[in-house]
Amino acid sequence: MSQVSSDWVADAEIAPPLPVVHGTSLLRRSLRLWRTRIGLALLGLIVLLAIVGPYVAPYGPSTPVGAPNSDPSGKAVLGTDYLGQDVLSRVLYGGRSILVMAVLATALGLVVGIAIGLVAAYSRNALDDTLMRGMDVIMALPSILLALVAVAIVGPHAWVIVAAIALTTVPRIARVTRGTALPIVERDFIAASEAMGVPRWRILSGELLPNCLGPLMVEASLRLTYSIALIAGLAFLGLSPNPNGANWGTMIQQNEIVLAVQPWGAAAPIIVIALLTLGTGLIGDGIARTAAGIDRARGEE
Amino acid sequence: MWGFILRRLLLGIVVLILVSILVFLATQALPGDPARAILGRSATPASLAALRRQLHLDQPVFTQYWTWITGLLHGNLGRSLAAQEPVSTLLAPKLVNSAVLVALAAVLSIPLSIAIGAWAAFRREKAFDQASSNLLLAAAALPEFVVGLVLVILFATTVLHVLPAVSTVPPGSRPWNDWLALVLPTLTLVIAVAPYVARIMRASMIEVLESDYVEMARLKGLPERTVLIRHALPNALGPVFQVIALNLAYLAGGIILVEVVFNYTGIGSATAEAVVNHDLPVIQALAILLAAVYVVLNLLADLATILVTPKLRTQL
Amino acid sequence: MDGQNIITKPDQARLMTAFETLLLFNENYQLTNNGLAESVTQDSPTQYTIRLRQGIEFQNGKTLTADDVIYSFQRIGTKAYGLTGYAATATMDIAAMKKLDQYTVQLPLKTPDSTVPQTLGSYTFNVVPVGYKAYPAAQVGTGAYKLKSFTPGQQSVHERNPNYWRSGQPYFDTVTIIDYSDSTAQVNALLGGQIDAMTDLPASQVKVVQARGMGALVSKTGGWLPICMAIDIPPFDDVRVRQAMRLIVDRKGMLEQVSSGYGFIGNDLYAPFDPGYDKSLPQREQDIAQAKSLLKAAGKANLAVDLHTTDGAAGMVDTATVFANQAQAAGVKINVINDPNFYGNQYLKLAFSVDFWGTRAYLNQVQQGSLPTSPYNETHWPPKTGTGSNFESLYSQALAETDAAKRTQIMHEMQQAEYNVGGYIIPFFGGLIDGYAANVKGLKPSKGTLNLDSFGHGFRTVWFS
Repeated sequence: MSQVSSDWVADAEIAPPLPVVHGTSLLRRSLRLWRTRIGLALLGLIVLLAIVGPYVAPYGPSTPVGAPNSDPSGKAVLGTDYLGQDVLSRVLYGGRSILVMAVLATALGLVVGIAIGLVAAYSRNALDDTLMRGMDVIMALPSILLALVAVAIVGPHAWVIVAAIALTTVPRIARVTRGTALPIVERDFIAASEAMGVPRWRILSGELLPNCLGPLMVEASLRLTYSIALIAGLAFLGLSPNPNGANWGTMIQQNEIVLAVQPWGAAAPIIVIALLTLGTGLIGDGIARTAAGIDRARGEE
Repeated sequence: MWGFILRRLLLGIVVLILVSILVFLATQALPGDPARAILGRSATPASLAALRRQLHLDQPVFTQYWTWITGLLHGNLGRSLAAQEPVSTLLAPKLVNSAVLVALAAVLSIPLSIAIGAWAAFRREKAFDQASSNLLLAAAALPEFVVGLVLVILFATTVLHVLPAVSTVPPGSRPWNDWLALVLPTLTLVIAVAPYVARIMRASMIEVLESDYVEMARLKGLPERTVLIRHALPNALGPVFQVIALNLAYLAGGIILVEVVFNYTGIGSATAEAVVNHDLPVIQALAILLAAVYVVLNLLADLATILVTPKLRTQL
Repeated sequence: MDGQNIITKPDQARLMTAFETLLLFNENYQLTNNGLAESVTQDSPTQYTIRLRQGIEFQNGKTLTADDVIYSFQRIGTKAYGLTGYAATATMDIAAMKKLDQYTVQLPLKTPDSTVPQTLGSYTFNVVPVGYKAYPAAQVGTGAYKLKSFTPGQQSVHERNPNYWRSGQPYFDTVTIIDYSDSTAQVNALLGGQIDAMTDLPASQVKVVQARGMGALVSKTGGWLPICMAIDIPPFDDVRVRQAMRLIVDRKGMLEQVSSGYGFIGNDLYAPFDPGYDKSLPQREQDIAQAKSLLKAAGKANLAVDLHTTDGAAGMVDTATVFANQAQAAGVKINVINDPNFYGNQYLKLAFSVDFWGTRAYLNQVQQGSLPTSPYNETHWPPKTGTGSNFESLYSQALAETDAAKRTQIMHEMQQAEYNVGGYIIPFFGGLIDGYAANVKGLKPSKGTLNLDSFGHGFRTVWFS
């Protein structure tokens, strides 16, 4: 999932470059699609659940409310988990950690990746080569493996997980940024700006960056979806910063064994993660379709 | 063109060496004394010293690396800390199991996704296209371990009880001895991989269907079926190979979570276990192995791209 | 595979197929003369005589004689081998063991020790033939099954010993023992019919298994998961802190959450089935208010500690987790650390940990875990001054005491010290739950240490219907 850059993003070596579309207008236009709206609704719902959850949960995350693995009842609407704790409450408490880490990791990866991609595209020389080879090396390991090795060595601390996932995000963002920026760099108005003495960073942020926003937004939503999946996956393997706290991924691991007896302990977090990733996926898809639609419209002009 | 291939190959090798150094150094930084970790409750000063000598822990880091890497190339992957067995004997059957699973998933998903993509392109914007596109989007967005668990809930534990929830391959047995147990993990991998191949196939097919070549075939009066299968399809397959290779490469990491969900006895769950147990030698061996598979498959993907894009072939 | 040494539960099962002890514990954890020895008599406080049954052959045809018994003792008593039973040989004068005749052995002791019979019944104190060595050497014992094949860490196959001395037994042609690292896989193998029995069925699966017509063997054993406080490491060097911690535990809640109610609550004392267990000591209950005031008096009102544990036995991590949750009520913040290298470097140096033990008689357990010379003394008991500082001398007295009533008196005094100022928190004794297929007959709930009714007493007392 999401390992290849979005199909709608051109790889500059293969196909003609995507025409330039301004970021905010792309976002606005994509919201006209029902799928983007649904995606946004899902995302909003789950984020709300994660943030507000702890305040509305009927019990604490580790309060015993009944015999372990009991069926849903008046007392525990989704039943109890393997230690007799309330499943609903744990679901309400269990999202913050995953969301915060995923957003942080993606944001970090975006910032660093964009910087590298822009610099590489702009320099067009040995620096470009070195940077991109460096990106290749990072991409030589499957992301999950990189995260696993990092966690195996340093421990499942929050900063390690965020750093590892940010690291796997950087090369893909860098590639997309570079891919979209490269053709722009070759255009006349960049040379003109340089001639006028506009400082480099101004060119990078003022001219190049805004024109990459379209494909970047798509890629960012893909990366966010993937980060969520990866962090939940690590928690599912038992590798999360606070294994005793409520966490959707850890809940799945703890309760998988009793799926046949009390499915909610694992099914509830599964459903929530599924809805979240569907939300981010739909948003990304909406933006991509809008961009492609604009592309087609432009192409027919 | 051959120069390019050689360069990519060299890059691949360099990358692998770098990865091996990184992995080795990184695992050297693991806290704790490996000798103590092995002997645990029954450690005595004498047995600790003996084991340290046996594991070459008393030698400088570079020597240890060299011993390890040359051993690796000769098939000696060290001894697992948790199982007290040579890593190679431990992993060999698991490697076979994983290979079977991935091969099965590939064999099933490739024709299926090609068919879906081609048909969706042919019936563009109609019902099948819309429906399949949405389903594929969902499949792509969902994490694969979530997909696996949903399948378990649907078919094994809660809604229906027709398939086993767990697909462990007992020691000494082979995956094909229990077909039913292979169904759900394979299905999970197929669902993980199909969306990308189907999408690329669709995009490629759309382009081909609008091409002059196909126009000509239609004008000649050939039946639509022939046009589709004998003229459009083969020309659309070009970019698909790259995506297939990329997806197989992705599975090198993807099997980790899927195997854990189904308790499948493969190198994926072995990796997860090794990480949880801080089993140094196994982590090192598996990291290199999976990285190598990933690099090779990415290389094949690059090759496929070049071979099918005439523009690039001549440029290089 | 080693007839006199185990580390994991599969090791236990394998050992039981081929090796036997001189005396046997029955399901009520009482010693019987049903083992290889016809009789074990105490001639004096420092001498035992062991009389072997005649006509027993090892699996290679060689007759069991006194020489084999002496070799077996010598092997266990060799410190360098590091075998499980080594510590118990401390009081034995193995070098001075004498062969009185073909089937009789005289065992002198260095100091009096009334626990010797229990040692002779302990499941790793097996009799091996002269010259015996661990796997990969040939595994020859007196047991009901011969080792046919073995892939360490994976599985072993054992076939029926046609020459077994108990005529009629065993009933199976082959026994296959498979190592599983994961209980999910085990349970599913049982449900799917791939295996006939499994150890440590999770409590949550009992309903599932029974719904399929299979059996769950629930044994009320004396196995325990203590929360260990080292009495010489701060903050637990202050007895008030230890007492406070013991009052924080909600024992019934712990039993319910960790063991799904299977088992019975504990009173911070071990060996509940020993006749010498002090039942007169009042059952401790949760008392958060008292705990808080004790902590305050000790100057540790908002205590924060790390609690180390590992996945060594079912319930260890859960016990730690639940205890940490319960401690919040008293303002104590416990950070649970699940360490795969728990049994490595720091194991017996930790201030606060959760460990596991099987059923034992009181004095045997003291010798294994409550003396300065014990191999697994997590709490660093006994204290050097104050209550309990005479624990070691009391132990020696108990060993030497031949009068059972007087011995019980001494044991009560020892337990009182542990009850008041000891380092163990023992919230409950969880049952051992095992699973077995519908056609497996003969399994009985057992109070002993081993699963599956001591693996069907070496797979002898079970059969297919």
